[in-house]
Amino acid sequence: MAFDQVAFGRCCGRYTKTLKQEFSPYGKLARLLEAKCITRRFGRTLALDGVNFSARVGEIQALLGENGAGKTTLMKVLTGGVRPDAGAVELDGSPLPLGSPDAALRAGIAAVHQSPMLFERFSWEENLALGGFGRDGGGFGLQQIDLHAVVAKARALAHHLGFELPPPGAIIADRSVAERVRLEVLRALSFDPRVLILDEPTGVLAPNELTAFLDLLRRLRGEGRMVVLITHKLAEARAVADRITVLRGGRLVAETTPAESDESELARLMIGKVTIPPEQQVAPLANPATLLEIENLTYRSAGVTILDGISLRLGAGEIAGVAGVDGNGQAELVEVLAGARKATSGWFGVRGSDGSSMAVIPQDRDLDGLILEMALWENFLLPQPLRERMTRRGWLDVARAMELCRAALGAFRIRAAGPEALASSLSGGNRQRLEVARALTQNPRVIVAHNVTRGLDLVATADVHRTLLEFAADGGAVLLISSDLDELLAIASRLLVISRGKIHPTEPEDRSPERLGLLMAGRWSE
Amino acid sequence: MLARLAKPAGAIALAIALIALVLLALGASPAGVFIALWQGAFGNWIAFTDSLVKATPLVFTGLAISVAFSAALWNIGADGQLVIGAIAAGAVGPFLGGWPRPLALTIVLIAGAIGGAWWSAICGWLRARRDTNEVISTIMLNFVAVQILSCTVHGPLMEASHAYPQSMRIAPSAEMYMFMPPTRLNLGMILALVLAIAMYLFLFRGEVGFQLRAMGINRRAANFFRIPIASLTIWTMALSGALAGIGGAVQVSAINHRLYEKISPGWGFEAIAVALVARLNPLGIVVAAIFFGALDNGSQAMQRAEGVSPVLVQVIQAVVILILLAFDTSAWGNIREVFSRAPVAATSIEGADA
Repeated sequence: MAFDQVAFGRCCGRYTKTLKQEFSPYGKLARLLEAKCITRRFGRTLALDGVNFSARVGEIQALLGENGAGKTTLMKVLTGGVRPDAGAVELDGSPLPLGSPDAALRAGIAAVHQSPMLFERFSWEENLALGGFGRDGGGFGLQQIDLHAVVAKARALAHHLGFELPPPGAIIADRSVAERVRLEVLRALSFDPRVLILDEPTGVLAPNELTAFLDLLRRLRGEGRMVVLITHKLAEARAVADRITVLRGGRLVAETTPAESDESELARLMIGKVTIPPEQQVAPLANPATLLEIENLTYRSAGVTILDGISLRLGAGEIAGVAGVDGNGQAELVEVLAGARKATSGWFGVRGSDGSSMAVIPQDRDLDGLILEMALWENFLLPQPLRERMTRRGWLDVARAMELCRAALGAFRIRAAGPEALASSLSGGNRQRLEVARALTQNPRVIVAHNVTRGLDLVATADVHRTLLEFAADGGAVLLISSDLDELLAIASRLLVISRGKIHPTEPEDRSPERLGLLMAGRWSE
Repeated sequence: MLARLAKPAGAIALAIALIALVLLALGASPAGVFIALWQGAFGNWIAFTDSLVKATPLVFTGLAISVAFSAALWNIGADGQLVIGAIAAGAVGPFLGGWPRPLALTIVLIAGAIGGAWWSAICGWLRARRDTNEVISTIMLNFVAVQILSCTVHGPLMEASHAYPQSMRIAPSAEMYMFMPPTRLNLGMILALVLAIAMYLFLFRGEVGFQLRAMGINRRAANFFRIPIASLTIWTMALSGALAGIGGAVQVSAINHRLYEKISPGWGFEAIAVALVARLNPLGIVVAAIFFGALDNGSQAMQRAEGVSPVLVQVIQAVVILILLAFDTSAWGNIREVFSRAPVAATSIEGADA
């Protein structure tokens, strides 16, 4: 990894300047945890680009940003899970070894991760014993863990923090999401950390649970711990944080406070400047024929309602954009429309044909959309309509399938050695083009595309957008589900917002990033 | 194609070098041992045909493994499926006297196929509908199959004289066509070859074979594109068991002519090695099976000539397999997946059932 000395120097110059400017009432310990000039690249994406970050004792520091802004990467740098390409992490002015989770934990940095890290089939006290509760007898030894002592200690700590614990022996799998989050916090606290970092812990909490949880964070702050709350929810960041750091696209865009910035200001900082949509949008047809009908589609899994009565009509020549924060049912909607999941109730269909005239492009091209270890021509045979067309009496017509694939490679300028190349040999952008090419080769009337340009560079993105616009102009219909507002504002002729499994139409005056940001966060009253 | 063969060939060469070191350590002459091994396996017409005969059940069970593993279904129960197929063949065989030979043979083979198929389909069903790990269920059913064989030859199928724990001899019309006696060369090897080619075409040119491979490489994507994972799981396991079961029927029809305990020396397990060495390619399995069959056949001659224990052949086999796995990262991936598959299986089954 080439180290950019100029950028590092510039960045650190800025850092020392801010340090001089600030006078700290806490004296030497004021800026306790500092990340300086952190840069980290994953493949071709720059996840963090010279980011400075600090957290202080007696403060709750919120780290705001959209998906992919680099929040989780920054947290992993702080906790040693990811080694930055450049930069330093300091605690009390002394540098921490980078990329060592153990060193971070020993220095007093503990984390609650975004995805649950509890053992489902263990009881809660066994889970806690695997954390810091069981280790007071001199590290991990062969000594028996006293589960009764763990329960007693955990109860005392929980009581102090103001919540109740389940009865001893209760299995994690049977506990509610809120209880799991609290147990994770408790386990992190069992290390008696000076810094507690929480990565989007509130995404799964109900509103009444949220209030109690924010109180818990305030209590931890009162104990003299540093609390870092990673979130993309503006309201809770403003409600609880003393200071707010905003990341966008791997860069630090603002350091502010709740008093200085209101929600729309924060939304603008998070989402960034949106280019005015160019005049490439499809002109809506005067009297469009309805192509896709979705009627009261509901999907429940394990008692949780994930899609909640979605109804939608999509006309010819239309690109309907569905905006939303990831995890509000988009993936499930795509899978139901693809036929990979069966809806609990409701109905959908393509007008005047069977289901085969709909092509679906899933968001995860490497896991869902393509089989990387198969040849390109074989990947072309994955969608049922194409496979049926290339099959004669149960046998694949390999020559025709290769020809079809070769033609598509040429037409969509996909850089590949040929139809027999493995899909894994293609770059990300070419893989995405392949998926789009395959979808169009099906001759569908409707295309459902989910985060179709995620991770693509500008040229590839523009290519995919042009292809979708041409498809709509030719009388097709596109359902474009995306968490990229710029993309939706640029090419969608109609905008919808999905939030907690419900789809809401938007008014023309909502067509701004600020309004959409609020709608995506579920603020429908304003 | 040549590049694909390079790895197994290199592994075998390295294995031979290692074995030579072992032999030197034992005080035997490596050259003498290898020559005796070669003579015993391919030295004359009888030896050569016997190597082919010993390879035949390994081809059938190897194909069974290959089909199941291609779909990422880890069927470790080919041995039990072969035994159940043999029981079915041995049960109908004695009653086919007077039937035209092609018809009687066909019935015996179909009986074997059905026997192995449903035995294996049990595990397929458990996997598809109950998410039971097929590694465990197929291993367990191996033991059950061996006990069933033991029960039948001591009980319902025991020969009329009750002299030995063995079944009645099958009718002459149910015996496999033998070529060129006194060699034991028979139609079974030809059938194995034909099935190997058929399985190659099925897997790489057939639509169902395509779905099966897609499911094997990436269950999530297969589910996303509406490939019917659950039913395909059951049918793949049935096909795998049928192939092993035919192997059992061929053995009864061509070689043993009756049932007795310990009819299989563990072909179903050796077949896993055969299939992995062949990298699951049905045509490669024929080559690998002949290699393993020849090693087995040559080991006795090696013992007579050089006084080396025939167990050494198992050492050679083990060394070949270990070296191959060490070289072949994709095979490692497959093995690792057996132990880390649970979450993937859960999501795909949920999707398939939903």
